[in-house]
Amino acid sequence: MNTTIKEQNGELVTYFEGRLDTAAAPQAEKDIQPLLASNGKNIVLDCNALEYISSSGLRLFLTVLKSAKSKGGHVFITGMNNDIRNVFSMTGFTNLFEFR
Amino acid sequence: MSNKLIHGWDKLQARSSIMLLIVAAVIVEVMGAVQYIFARDGIRQEVKQRARTEIRMRNLEIHNVISNVEVAVNNMQWLIDWAAANPDSIYSTLQLIIHNNPIITGCAMAFEPNYFPEHGEWYEPFAGRSNGLTGDIVRRQIGSANHNYHNATWYREALTSDGGQWTEPYLDDAGSKMMVSSYTMPIHDSEGKVIGVFCSDVSLEWLADLFGSQSGAYTFLTSRSGRLLACPDKSQVMKTTIQEAAKQFNDTMIDVVNANMLAGDSGDAEIKDNNGNKNYIYYSPVEGNTGWSMAVIFPDKEIYAGLHRVGTYLTIFMILGMLLMAYIMWRTFRGHQRLQAVSAEKERIGSELRIASAIQMGMLPKTFPPYPDLDELAMYGALVPAKEVGGDLYDFYVRDRKLFFCVGDVSGKGVPASLVMAVTRSLFRTVSTHTESPEQLMMQMNNAMSEMNESSMFVTLFIGVLDLRTGNLAYSNAGHCPPLVIHNQTVTPIEMDANIPVGLMSDWQYNRQDIHINPGSNIFVYTDGLTEAENGEHGQYGEERMNSTLAQVGNLAPRELIAAMSDSVHAFVAGAEQSDDLTMLDIQFIKTIED
Repeated sequence: MNTTIKEQNGELVTYFEGRLDTAAAPQAEKDIQPLLASNGKNIVLDCNALEYISSSGLRLFLTVLKSAKSKGGHVFITGMNNDIRNVFSMTGFTNLFEFR
Repeated sequence: MSNKLIHGWDKLQARSSIMLLIVAAVIVEVMGAVQYIFARDGIRQEVKQRARTEIRMRNLEIHNVISNVEVAVNNMQWLIDWAAANPDSIYSTLQLIIHNNPIITGCAMAFEPNYFPEHGEWYEPFAGRSNGLTGDIVRRQIGSANHNYHNATWYREALTSDGGQWTEPYLDDAGSKMMVSSYTMPIHDSEGKVIGVFCSDVSLEWLADLFGSQSGAYTFLTSRSGRLLACPDKSQVMKTTIQEAAKQFNDTMIDVVNANMLAGDSGDAEIKDNNGNKNYIYYSPVEGNTGWSMAVIFPDKEIYAGLHRVGTYLTIFMILGMLLMAYIMWRTFRGHQRLQAVSAEKERIGSELRIASAIQMGMLPKTFPPYPDLDELAMYGALVPAKEVGGDLYDFYVRDRKLFFCVGDVSGKGVPASLVMAVTRSLFRTVSTHTESPEQLMMQMNNAMSEMNESSMFVTLFIGVLDLRTGNLAYSNAGHCPPLVIHNQTVTPIEMDANIPVGLMSDWQYNRQDIHINPGSNIFVYTDGLTEAENGEHGQYGEERMNSTLAQVGNLAPRELIAAMSDSVHAFVAGAEQSDDLTMLDIQFIKTIED
């Protein structure tokens, strides 16, 4: 599991690569700390290379969302594969995030 | 492990470490000793060999020179006898002998009293080099009343002998000032009668080089009478006899050696000096009839100096090695103690976790069948946490002929998840006493949980209320995977609206859905621990496999159905570590309740 954050066009783009399962979650949580520290910038969670997401991963996305919203920012998710899209729709997370 | 036990174990450990150290020390010590003894033995043999070689080598050199003189003089016997018969030629003959034999420093012919009446009682013509081995050859008559050779031992012995004789070596004060030994031989007249003695002085200066000082050994040469002829300490030459030297020693063994040397025997012995140091001595007579004897002494101190040095180094290395070993043991021991402390702590946490696990499992329905009196309903539930405690939950109860049930999955696993699980399960029981509608239940639970949720933990939850009189299932879903209805070996997921999990946002409007359950159907509710059970290659059990398996075992009673599903999952993961909590709840709706 690799997590990389890049600033592009004034947005923080986060690239997730691999499997965001319960075992990978603690490291990923450390990796996304800059997102939580940012002030109001829009955040893009790029899931093109994300193979799998567990409930721990969902919680991580949610943490980012809560933090961004409290500062007036938006969180966009892009590039989800079908499996992840299913997880999002089943859990109702599609209702919470904005998608590109 | 109790502290007392740990302490006892420590002591045992420390004691066995010390024992190990002692055993290692003893082994190394014994090995060192054995090695030392063998090396010492080898060196002793070597020294004995060397002693014999030293002596043999000198014997050859001495014998070489001595026999050269003997042969040369013996070969001139006729010339000397001829010169005695032609007195005018005596000096020129002596000169000729010296000239041809560089090692002969001087020679003389000593005649019997008044053999030549015109020369008086003592007549001894002599020729010799003026300056030892070099210089001009001078001639003179040395017989006189002061030099009354007729009574000298060398003269008397030579007269009576029938061949060459070597005299006791002496310092030639008169002539060369060197240490010489004379080789004497009787002179005969034409009738074979002995008329005097021919005497040639042979310098023994070359012996000094042969017995110079050398490392580790002390060699010396003695005359027939025991006088030192050559030894490394030149000041002792001709001054001392071995008998005198022996008086300085307490060890009487030296007297035995001296006696043997004087008797012309060879042998070896061990002699202690006055400080108790041992010396090895080997002695052997010089070949020929000089009566000389040689000895070589090897002090133990010198012989074993190398061995002792090596022994010292080895001992130092051994001590350092032992210290190092002791240090490593000490470190290991300390490490072990720390490890024990850590494992004691782990043990404590582990036991607390086991208790927590028991408490958590106690929250789940565990009496199956739960309602033996209800013919309309059969149920079985199973929850297997990935760790000691988990975040899955299920619960159910019957009230007013309605079955309230829920299955939930807290995000994450382990202790944090288990705390949320406990709260969720309590809320379900509390809130459900006030309402029969699943969406109201869900919303009230959500509000309660969202308010206190600082760490963004959430629960996917399915709540169902099955009316046992009608078969109507009212349900609300909060992001949980859809339960399955199994009827006549057909597996159908229950239709779901997408609602967010419980605990995220207060006042989220959860909706209610309804479905009719035909009698004879099973409602199978599970958590994603089932579909996402992984084998060693990250392959997931998956919905397809689940559905097909359920279709096969759908006609079994709930307990057997869940057992079959468990077997199927176990066979799939093939021993891989369980990654998530796994929950299955099977509700078999047999028939409606008749009022």
